[in-house]
Amino acid sequence: MNIIIPIKQVPETSNVKMDPETGTMIRDGVESIINPLDLYAIEVGIQLKEEHGGKVTVITMGPPSASKALKEAIAMGCDDGILITDRKFAGADTWSTAYVLAEAIKEIGEYDLVLAGERATDGDTGQVGPNIAAYLDLTLGTYISKVEEVNKEKIVVERLLEEGYEKLELPLPSLLTVVKEISYPRLPTLRGKQRARKTELPSLTVKDMNVDESKLGLKGSPTRVVKIETPKVTRGGTIVSAKDDDQLEAAVDKLVEFLKSKEIV
Amino acid sequence: MNYNPLTEEIVKELESILGSKNVILDKEKMENYSHDETPEEYAHMPDVVITPTTAEQIAEVMKLANKHLIPVTPRGAGSGLSGGAIPTFGGILLSIEKMNKVLEIDYDNMMIVVEPGLVTNEINGLVEDKGLFFAGYPMSLLTCYIGGNIAENAGGGKAIKYGVTGQYVMGLEIVTPTGEIVELGGKNVKDVTGYDIKKLMIGSEGTLGVITKAIIKLSPKPKFATDLLVLFKDVESAIKIVPTIISEGGIVPTSIEFMDKLSVHTTCDYLNEHLPYQKAGSMLLIEVDGTNESVVELDAETIGELCLENGAIEVYVADNFTTQERVWSVRRNIAEAFMVYSPEQSLEDIVVPIGNIAKLMPEIEKISKKYDIKMPSYGHAGDGNLHTTLVKNPDTTMEEWFDIENKALKELYDAVYKLGGKLSGEHGIGLKRMKFMKDHLSETELMLMKKIKQAFDPNYIMNPGKIIE
Repeated sequence: MNIIIPIKQVPETSNVKMDPETGTMIRDGVESIINPLDLYAIEVGIQLKEEHGGKVTVITMGPPSASKALKEAIAMGCDDGILITDRKFAGADTWSTAYVLAEAIKEIGEYDLVLAGERATDGDTGQVGPNIAAYLDLTLGTYISKVEEVNKEKIVVERLLEEGYEKLELPLPSLLTVVKEISYPRLPTLRGKQRARKTELPSLTVKDMNVDESKLGLKGSPTRVVKIETPKVTRGGTIVSAKDDDQLEAAVDKLVEFLKSKEIV
Repeated sequence: MNYNPLTEEIVKELESILGSKNVILDKEKMENYSHDETPEEYAHMPDVVITPTTAEQIAEVMKLANKHLIPVTPRGAGSGLSGGAIPTFGGILLSIEKMNKVLEIDYDNMMIVVEPGLVTNEINGLVEDKGLFFAGYPMSLLTCYIGGNIAENAGGGKAIKYGVTGQYVMGLEIVTPTGEIVELGGKNVKDVTGYDIKKLMIGSEGTLGVITKAIIKLSPKPKFATDLLVLFKDVESAIKIVPTIISEGGIVPTSIEFMDKLSVHTTCDYLNEHLPYQKAGSMLLIEVDGTNESVVELDAETIGELCLENGAIEVYVADNFTTQERVWSVRRNIAEAFMVYSPEQSLEDIVVPIGNIAKLMPEIEKISKKYDIKMPSYGHAGDGNLHTTLVKNPDTTMEEWFDIENKALKELYDAVYKLGGKLSGEHGIGLKRMKFMKDHLSETELMLMKKIKQAFDPNYIMNPGKIIE
């Protein structure tokens, strides 16, 4: 079973500082990591390979430094990594990114399954996975929480919904976006790291792919960031306090008045 | 020792020295100052809590306390694990919480001058942009005060490479128990001008004076770190590798943290961590850091190979935020994981020469079996400092537990001393270990300690009931 996993490098956001003037993140000195939700897709991919054989290929679109993310995925147990990189890709939105990733997957050739994280922790859109499925005309399963059964023709999965689970049977190849519940990502091992260091990462650029250049990068992206604003906190909160027992009754009355005015009681 | 009760007149005098808002008599508020991180049974209420803002105020308070024979207990953030900040004899609890200013950042000399109530981690926040950090910090750095760190000579997970707090204290201003303000040390890298009283103050647990100012040395902050989480089948192979890493590998790691089987299994279970820990009889968490990424990577690899050659089951590599947080959370959550099993614990910090850790482990197991208590051991294998913890069996009564705790601790310390160890590596003696310490000191050493105490504090009012009687 051959599996392709598109992953994304995202800034590590636990210590992020914002530029108060532009409202954007200060990226200087911020470490880049594999999008945490992609780790679950990687884990499932490796598990399926271990059980059914085949090969797992991770791909990412980004600057040459994104090869670090590919190496980390290989250290976890993926077989190959391909870096999709070209200055012309810079500034791409989800639509343009998915287009390039889909074209790259076409170049890779034979595959049974594409696995993606549910969404990235920076953009938070959850669009790229489904978008790739659309470009490649693949059957799509989103929010997948469990792989129950897989054979040459089909895969049976569970899909996490607000009201419960949905059981789906999809033909192969198809694309699945997975949620955290699906697995526990493994840690890279020393042997894995050593293998990753020796693994050559081929790269795909614009001239290696059959892409329409008008659909690339910032110019080819229909999304426009018009303005970034920090939302104002408008909820103030009301505190009714009683310093001692004598004031208690009056305070309770005040609270009841307030709740009535809000039509809560 | 007999002390006088706190009278209204004395409270009035305190208020005139400090201003009434810095004198707290409210029972509910004072309760917070009656304990530290040791179990409830050690707690004791103060008669008054004061929050001075200057060394001069503290000097006047000390003179007043000497005149009336009132005990004074200095206190930092209260994160101690030896009962050092507990006002065992009541009296005045002197909290340094309002003395938290940064007085100077001296980049030319790479030093920072601070008041004692500054939260230790804030130092790192202030100098981070210049690529500097305070290297001697303990594990509790997010809450503890630098003054408390100095008084306890606190150490932590990085001591094997960076040492403990005391190595970074260049100078101190203290108020003596008799109320004099004195400056010790300074910004000189070398200084052998007379007895080193500054060093004597470091780790004196607030029994020799109150620290009111500190000059702290800063170090260049390493830019890269890699952690190895190594599973071993047993304790011996994990412990044996520790000296090998340094001697054969030629690398001094930043930390080598050890976790025994009980600690690993309980914590992984608690955290729902799905590492294949079931087959592990012990675990090491090894960190290397440096300024060159490829050197750090190579060091980690050398250590990892050494581990695999010497009986490691698996070596995991964490070199980014996601994976590093994950491996360190196993180490950091051990105490919390055992809290779920039983909140009554005695957290120890015994220290033995690193070569003897493996010999100590069967002794700990014997004690644990004899008294039917869980005794997880984890901690800083790189410096032989282990947090062996006695965890009460939930089926025993509190009375039985106190008896068991006492006996088991005595046996543990006896075993530690037989192996050339000491009963505290970083938490201190304080109140909790005072009765055990004197069993293991020579008469001469004890006498010298008493004479030092007497020279500083003739009326025995400065943090009485701690370290020595």
